[in-house]
Amino acid sequence: MNAKLDGEFREFMHARWPVVVRLAYGLTGDQGHAEDVAQAAFARAYASWPRVSRAGDPDAYVRQIVVNENRNRFRRHRVAERLTDSPPESGLAAAAWADTTRRYEDRSALTAALQRLGPRQRAVIVLRYWIDLTEHETAAVLNCSVGTVKSQASRALATLRQDTELVDEGFG
Amino acid sequence: MRIDDERDLHEQLEAAFGAITPAPAPVDGAVRRGRVIKARRRAAVAAGAAAVVALAVLSVPAQRHGPAAPGPVTQAGHYAVTVQAPGPHAAPGLIASGTIDGKGWQLTAAKPGSGAPGTGSRGQMFTTSGAAFGGAATAQPGQALTVYSQVPVWFSDSVLTRGPVQVQYGAVRADVTYVAARLDNGTVLILHPVAVYGVRAVAFAVPVGARIVDATAYSRHGQIATATPFNAPNGVAFFGLWLRPGQHGLARTSGRIGSGTAYGGWSATAYLGPWGVCIRVPATGITSAQCTPAASPGSAGLLFYPAGKGLSVMAGQAPPGTGWIVVNQPDGTTTKRRPVTVGSQSGFFAIQVLPGPHQMTWSELK
Repeated sequence: MNAKLDGEFREFMHARWPVVVRLAYGLTGDQGHAEDVAQAAFARAYASWPRVSRAGDPDAYVRQIVVNENRNRFRRHRVAERLTDSPPESGLAAAAWADTTRRYEDRSALTAALQRLGPRQRAVIVLRYWIDLTEHETAAVLNCSVGTVKSQASRALATLRQDTELVDEGFG
Repeated sequence: MRIDDERDLHEQLEAAFGAITPAPAPVDGAVRRGRVIKARRRAAVAAGAAAVVALAVLSVPAQRHGPAAPGPVTQAGHYAVTVQAPGPHAAPGLIASGTIDGKGWQLTAAKPGSGAPGTGSRGQMFTTSGAAFGGAATAQPGQALTVYSQVPVWFSDSVLTRGPVQVQYGAVRADVTYVAARLDNGTVLILHPVAVYGVRAVAFAVPVGARIVDATAYSRHGQIATATPFNAPNGVAFFGLWLRPGQHGLARTSGRIGSGTAYGGWSATAYLGPWGVCIRVPATGITSAQCTPAASPGSAGLLFYPAGKGLSVMAGQAPPGTGWIVVNQPDGTTTKRRPVTVGSQSGFFAIQVLPGPHQMTWSELK
């Protein structure tokens, strides 16, 4: 890759890194995993950068890889990472744990509620309502029909509306 | 839910995700990983090109090398090879020298980034010389010598082939004191690393068709790991997975994972074994091969093969549970394939793709 394209990629990554990490965070619910997924996505984009750059929508390319990487990661870890109703023991003193938990809940009750959704419903919510993709665009990224996007979005929104923690915060 | 609610959801998502403060963008890390991905893809091209060169040389030997032209591919076991590390007064860049059936050879690396055309900063020029190669020194682009901490020796997957000789070269981790390469004629080549432009490297040359049994890396405390290469049907060996003592790789098996009739016909075969997974896509006399160490069998991988002029094939292994592999072709059409199981591994695919940008996805088993 020539210096111009290399510089172009670096500029793109610097500019889009926070957004891509946040997208990955929305899908994974874990900042560490999100940064891993985002870096892998940018690495793949770099490997094909002349083609990706020519195609004119590098954001879409990276977004697609993030979704695929996360899906693959979820499949690899779905047995190892089991969602539970209560947080695991942290080793912190009870009061400190409660304080930490409260701060976390204040900041990201919605993120926690997203993690209680299935991976596809979570992806639909993030892509449709945070990235603001259309139903068609969301279907293309998730490799499913528009009807599936509609039904998954409807179920996800219903679940979120019934999520007691979000209802408590006035979402429902 | 009303529109207002959806807007509210957007704002709440914005607030939740906006609270995340990512670490600084690891641009250099992504570039490095991207170069490794790109180099692996390029290795497939290089292997194909090298096969073309080898075929061309074999078909018109008199024009290229006169009386010193290479003969046919060596029958397994009927050859004699030696290797030695350079002495203290050797020319800069010399990695190793030796003989094949009494004819000398040398491998010399140029300074990294010193003008390997089309290979960018990942490229490095290597010069093969000596009677074993037909006499005249020839410079070829290859993968730059790079140490990867996960493996004791990173043998380049763009194996240098020239006529009937294949040259294996690699960068060596700091804890490795020597490497022993076993050949099918019973020879054990002891490779002593030599510093070449700041990187410790080893190299050895054997005839195309000679089977490399394995290579074992040793530290001063003993054996570190052993790599059993995939000896491809075209006579060239590809190193993949390194196994520590007591570790076992995949059982040896192979199976066709895709085929087509375009451009004279092509087929792709996956070879499983202690090297990991290797996929070959021979087409109309051109052979591409690429190996991916199946360090975590079943994990997703994607290999891209420009297998010949006008023909490109995407081949790889999708994650377990994949029902369909879908490629959105540049002309707007969609190609769907069911994954193929080979031995203990599932998810293999090989799909012909049209020139231009593609989007590939896989779907869950339904």
